[in-house]
Amino acid sequence: MYALALALIAVVLAAVAPRIMARLKVFRRSPRAALVAWQAVSLAAVLSALAVAPAAIPFLTRTHTIACASEECPSAVAAWRTQWWAVLVVAAVVTFAVLLPLLVSGHRIGTRLRAARTRHTELVDVLGDPREEDGTQLRVLAHATPTAYCLPGRRSRVVLTEGALTALPTGELSAVLAHERAHLRGRHDLLLEYFTVLHHSVPGPVRSPEALREVRLLIEALADRAASRASGPVETARALLTLAHGQTPVAGLGAGGQGATAARMRLLADRPLPAPVVALMYLYAAAVVALPLTLLWLAWR
Amino acid sequence: MTTPTSSPASTPRLGELERAVMEQLWDRAAEHPEGESVREVLEGLPAGRDLAYTTVMTVLDRLTKKQLVTRARDGRAWRYRPAGTRESLTAETMRASLEDASDRHAALLHFLDGASPDELAELRAALAEVERRRG
Ligand SMILES: [Zn+2]
Repeated sequence: MYALALALIAVVLAAVAPRIMARLKVFRRSPRAALVAWQAVSLAAVLSALAVAPAAIPFLTRTHTIACASEECPSAVAAWRTQWWAVLVVAAVVTFAVLLPLLVSGHRIGTRLRAARTRHTELVDVLGDPREEDGTQLRVLAHATPTAYCLPGRRSRVVLTEGALTALPTGELSAVLAHERAHLRGRHDLLLEYFTVLHHSVPGPVRSPEALREVRLLIEALADRAASRASGPVETARALLTLAHGQTPVAGLGAGGQGATAARMRLLADRPLPAPVVALMYLYAAAVVALPLTLLWLAWR
Repeated sequence: MTTPTSSPASTPRLGELERAVMEQLWDRAAEHPEGESVREVLEGLPAGRDLAYTTVMTVLDRLTKKQLVTRARDGRAWRYRPAGTRESLTAETMRASLEDASDRHAALLHFLDGASPDELAELRAALAEVERRRG
């Protein structure tokens, strides 16, 4: 029965695959392909779960017809009816148990993110000195702690502190700006939001924090690629150290990076994966998405 | 604050004005501890701007909604004051951005997701590796 297979695939893709993929550190050398694979797996997991009820319908209607074709119709039909309803209710519950948390967590996280960004943009717009560096419009905050970030969205902003401009030599500054521009241009915020929403919509035991951590690292590695193209891997790595060094006296906030910064620097030393491996990664992504769609098609055929 | 295309000139201009008004409120806070009226704000702004009273009122209204200024009644008019000093609001912004870096629901995209002091030695070793292999 296809509905059962889809439910099983959903569980495997949501709970098992991310844990394995988070361990495949070699994927990090091609962050773009890796992120496509991650998106494919998560999308396929959602599709599989949502397809459980639609896949159950044709199976049930078909058995119903077969039952009625035989001689002892009345009692058999009554028995099938009960089972028919029971299975359909279970399948619908599975589908809605996935859909509802997804919508709720999407709404909750989206609202929260946008509120935080709006408030931050309002502050930065009156406090930040508008300046242009390296062809990038900046808002410069009068603060000694060196930091650089961007506010994504329709009214995007790149924000640096005076401390960052003082600490970063030209080459490192270009690396930082190229990194932030890559985040904004690639709408990495949407990618991150998508994975955060998915992460919070699956039940606790299925959730894998290492998967979300890995995706965040891949997004940073992708922006580091852009920085590396703009001013070379060495300058990019130096910029990371410069800012880490300048932030440590204040960053008693707990290392949000959890070793991610060192991992990013090591990735700057690595060459990208060979083209055939990257092609395989894309193939894997395509196959994973095709799986639930094929099963649903088979169920209705 | 609709799409940028709907009002090509007014939105950036309003943003710029908001900044100018905030600057002035901060700079003259010592002279006006009780806040400034719309008229006072208007007269303080550079003469070349050719601003209407209602424009300044709109700007102050927007800043109030954003909780960047507070207002208090003074007879029939309002007096406006910055909601915090430039330094305290900058500190608030910095705190928000640094805390965000270690948040799982990051609203901002940082260049660096924070680093602990014990991580620095590891970072130096990693830099040496990059310099050796790609330098
Ligand atoms: Zn980044």
